Amino acid sequence: MSEIENNDRRDYSAFDAELTHQALNMHLFGRLLTWLRPYRPTLFVSIALVVLAAAMSVLMPVITGRVIIDTILVPNPAVSDMPDYGLIGVTSWIEQTFATSPIMAATLLYTLLILVQAFLMFVHRLTMTSSVLKGLRDLRVDLFSSLERKPASFYDHVGVGRVMTRVTNDVENLVDLLTGFGMLAGEFVPFFLAMFLMFHISGELTGIVLLAIPVAAVATYFFRQAMREIFRHVRNSVSSLNQYMQEDLMGIQVVQLSGRESTNIEQYGVFNKENRRQEFRAINYEVLFENVNMSLGSIITAAIVWYGGGAVVQDQVSLGSLVLFTQLINMMIQPVASVGQQFNTLFRSMASGERIFQALDWDEKLHEPVGDRVATLPVRLRGDVEFRQVNFSYLQDEPILKGVSFHIEPGEKLAIVGPTGSGKSTIIRLLARFYDFDDGMIFLDGVDVNTIASNDLRTRVGVVLQDFHVFSGSVIDNITLNNPAISRERAEWAARLVNADPFIRDLPDGYETLLAERGNNLSQGQQQLLAFARVLAVDPEILVLDEATSSIDTGTELIIQDALHKLTEGRTSIIIAHRLQTIQECDRILVLHHGEVKEVGSHEELIAKQGIYYTLHELQFQDVGPTAK
Amino acid sequence: MDKFRVPGPRRERSSFRHLWHLKHLIPYVKRYAWVLTTALFGLLLTRLMDAIVPQFMKVAIDSLADANLEANLFIPALGILGALAIRFTIYIFARRALRRISISVAYDLRKRIFDRIQYQGPNFFNSHSTGDLMSRAVNDVGMIRMVVSFGWVTIVLFFFTVTTGLYFMFDMSPALATWVVLPLPLVGIVGFLMARGMFPYFRERQEALAAVTSFTQENLNGIRTIQAMGQEDNEIKRFRRVSTKFATAVYRATRYAAWMNICVGLLTSISPIIVIFYGGSLVLQDEITLGTMTAFFAYLMMVTGSVTAIGWSLSMFTGAAAGTERIFEVIDSTLEVADSGAVQIAEPVAGQIEFKNFTYQHPNAIRPAVQNIDLTIRPGETIAILGRVGSGKSTLLKAIARLIDTPAGGIFIDGCDICDVSVERLRQIVTLVPQDPFLFSTSLRENLTYDEPCRSDAAIWDAAHAGGLAQTIEELTNGLDTEVGERGITLSGGQKQRATLTRGLIRDAGILLLDDCFSSVDTETEEGILSGLARMRGERTTLLISHRVSTARHADRILVMDEGEIVEAGSHQELLARGGYYADLEAIQSNQDDNDSRKARLLRNLESDVLVNRA
Repeated sequence: MSEIENNDRRDYSAFDAELTHQALNMHLFGRLLTWLRPYRPTLFVSIALVVLAAAMSVLMPVITGRVIIDTILVPNPAVSDMPDYGLIGVTSWIEQTFATSPIMAATLLYTLLILVQAFLMFVHRLTMTSSVLKGLRDLRVDLFSSLERKPASFYDHVGVGRVMTRVTNDVENLVDLLTGFGMLAGEFVPFFLAMFLMFHISGELTGIVLLAIPVAAVATYFFRQAMREIFRHVRNSVSSLNQYMQEDLMGIQVVQLSGRESTNIEQYGVFNKENRRQEFRAINYEVLFENVNMSLGSIITAAIVWYGGGAVVQDQVSLGSLVLFTQLINMMIQPVASVGQQFNTLFRSMASGERIFQALDWDEKLHEPVGDRVATLPVRLRGDVEFRQVNFSYLQDEPILKGVSFHIEPGEKLAIVGPTGSGKSTIIRLLARFYDFDDGMIFLDGVDVNTIASNDLRTRVGVVLQDFHVFSGSVIDNITLNNPAISRERAEWAARLVNADPFIRDLPDGYETLLAERGNNLSQGQQQLLAFARVLAVDPEILVLDEATSSIDTGTELIIQDALHKLTEGRTSIIIAHRLQTIQECDRILVLHHGEVKEVGSHEELIAKQGIYYTLHELQFQDVGPTAK
Repeated sequence: MDKFRVPGPRRERSSFRHLWHLKHLIPYVKRYAWVLTTALFGLLLTRLMDAIVPQFMKVAIDSLADANLEANLFIPALGILGALAIRFTIYIFARRALRRISISVAYDLRKRIFDRIQYQGPNFFNSHSTGDLMSRAVNDVGMIRMVVSFGWVTIVLFFFTVTTGLYFMFDMSPALATWVVLPLPLVGIVGFLMARGMFPYFRERQEALAAVTSFTQENLNGIRTIQAMGQEDNEIKRFRRVSTKFATAVYRATRYAAWMNICVGLLTSISPIIVIFYGGSLVLQDEITLGTMTAFFAYLMMVTGSVTAIGWSLSMFTGAAAGTERIFEVIDSTLEVADSGAVQIAEPVAGQIEFKNFTYQHPNAIRPAVQNIDLTIRPGETIAILGRVGSGKSTLLKAIARLIDTPAGGIFIDGCDICDVSVERLRQIVTLVPQDPFLFSTSLRENLTYDEPCRSDAAIWDAAHAGGLAQTIEELTNGLDTEVGERGITLSGGQKQRATLTRGLIRDAGILLLDDCFSSVDTETEEGILSGLARMRGERTTLLISHRVSTARHADRILVMDEGEIVEAGSHQELLARGGYYADLEAIQSNQDDNDSRKARLLRNLESDVLVNRA
């Protein structure tokens, strides 16, 4: 099966589709943890610390309940056999060693626990954050590298915006996921410790508290069920609202020229109202849920007072334990409520995780030669290019190139002309190996390009694309593309040679002038010259240029022609030409039509032939009626 | 809930100076004054219920601690449940009312923002990018919504809770209460100062995140260039640096927050320690009961909870105040193009355009974009305008459609000053097809009939034939109902240009202005469009900007602009005979000129001024 068909079968829509959206995908979570593996020691320390800190916070109520109330304030020998975890002993030890009053000793112990607990939590937070951040940084970089190496066919189908949110928002959501898990752990560890301790003190009272947990869990469950749809509607209404506004803003000129302002205000009003309606619906449930969670604590307190009080009277439970129970209630309720609150975060983050892994797992790549097949090229190529019977199609049954063969001598300049859609740009894309092809061969100095590593190939074939992409950064950065191998002198030399130097020097900060993204502060012509400088700085053996079609004023065009002349001098060049000037600069012209090479020859030869080129020339370049040939 | 966040411009550090901006919100909230007051009163009641619960606990515990007393459990348990029931009911109504109001306020604000934006002019959009405006409508409105639903209530409740808590504590034991209360102001002050100190960390974090976002966006947008130049590894290294910087910023913010937690946490713990030590001693001396001591714990939790919340609320307030300022900057912005309906242009529109010593200078520009234009365009005339980039061609067309704030007395249509005509009417008469072919992400049909959705198919096809789009539509799978994707991504540059041209032609306006609409269209297609144009426009006025002599030569009159002035005017033959810029242009473009010295001369003249920063 050929690679092309393989690409064709890819379902790119899967890339944008809503994924499974499981709330707790353990497999995914496990995979996420592999990025944390290098930071395992720190993580373990961090987890140990949080367990210790949780134990301390559970012991604090024991001091107030068992030590202070039961032994100091209301001594009750009947309950002295109830568990105190040695705290009574420690207190009396402090009392004797430092000769303090019992209440002072208990206070000191309490204070000590607070200090140690605060310190442990502090170190826990720092170690946890640092390892999670580093792990996710690595994940982000891995994701970015995988995107960086995806072939052109991938970006033909998948919008940059879609991919980008994976690197930014989705990774950020994973931070929420991991800190969410961290928070849950931070609450559930005390939860279980507290439960163990309560159970130890009084099984019956613990039973009452535990009764409340299913109630909270069921409430949470029903809330989530009810909210799933509602939240989805809210989200959808928010995004349609925002999308509408964004698009309206981008096309504001058209809106105003078409007199659509009031219609659009009305339309926006519809989205706005819908959003309000959905938000109103959502809060009804949210407020109720919030309230149920907040009330649970009070109900349990009442039950403990009622039932536990009776037990105290019968000396089954100490008064201190009763107080202790009321203080531990929050530790029991909080985690259950948190699960509810964290669920939406978890839910969203899991979806993010899925999207990230989908991008990482997307195994579309160029076929790179391996092992013995990798050809070693000489330091400097002569610049001999040959296409031999190349067939190519992006989509099945829609061939773009049909048996294209041609040969360019070192140093020769070839112009490719032909109507839109004739396959001109495809020739460039194949030569620069943006796409895989396996039907036919392309040779550089007699070496099959499929055996050349694409990185090596691209340093030898310099491509100037039709749209010059300006990166935000200085002019010099845009020429060198931050490539450390290109010195500043070389960049300036290249700029001078392609006539870009005068306008650059005229910019406010010369070569250091910061350019805005998309080059808003440069004219078309200036961008074109920078593109030339960029490629010249690399000094490729073969130049491939897709001439910009948009018309620029004639003066600028003359300067560009001059620059092009210098750029192609003594260099094998393939130029997709749109201007007669450019064509006439070239040694030979190749006419492409419906993916086939129809004519090859010099301008004069082809004119004499009176074929396609002649017609194109008549239509496109011969504008002046009376004097035309 | 999934909050839609939009990357916006960097936010200034919030400060208290901004707080007075919140006054702008008063009219929006005022209409709910009664509901607000009632809801607030309800919430105060819920707090009171919260404060009663420890009292019941106290009764129960005291009865248990004192062997001489009969255990009193039933009444307190019932009391707690009763307080809870009242609290539950009130809370639902009060909270819901507040949140509904906040949603309504957000709704109103967004509506006002959108309304205002629709009628704004070019300078406004130059200084406010789409991202900026979106960030105001999304992030800032969201922040105000938070303040309306939670913020101010938290502050009122804070005072109430603290007062109630203190009241009960002092009521039970003034001696203990005095000591317990002492550390509380410290908690508030430190908490507040540290929350304020958090701002720079948040900002650093936001900026680092913005750096990651823009690096990714740019890199992926330019991925072809990067791959073509083989710079992937280099870029990955740079990305790693940017990401590490972000991680460091987050770490710093977290470390600060951890310090804050430890400081505020320890300060908050001082009061319970005092309760244990001093309160315990008082219990031993029988000054207070054990129940009082446990009730103190409960009240402390209530009060410290409020004190820590106050720092958070205040920072929310400052954030919302800055947001309010940014929102009202938009809502209260003055419209650049003032509307007037003083004069009506009578039907049928003849299409005569007259410039009377027309001069226009962009705000903040050094020199006028166009100056001293005196020109009369006769009804039905076709005018071509040529000139170098920045010579003022587009400004001239925009002035006619009032896309800029055209000064009064400069331009007249059929004898009426366009500034006296309502903008709506003017744009019915004048159709401008802009240079940038923008399409909305709907169907092709909706795009073509954007101004008037119920046009007949016949009208659409007629315009499509003239605009050279008919064949494209036929080739599309769903014809007119094809979805064109965001910004018309599924169409080629030439197709988009022809679609926008068709959208302009379909309006059949008295005056048609074409701002370089053929740049991505090949010459062959252009010929077809020009003849279609001639057929459709018939005897109506058309102005078109072009770079090509082949386009211009068909016009009745050709104008050449330079430095904002008309330097050459006349028919094709007249201008050729004149031997100026137009003649040079013709010579170069037709390549009939073998005179290299002439080209060299042009090159010399042009190099100095054309390429030198025309941005």
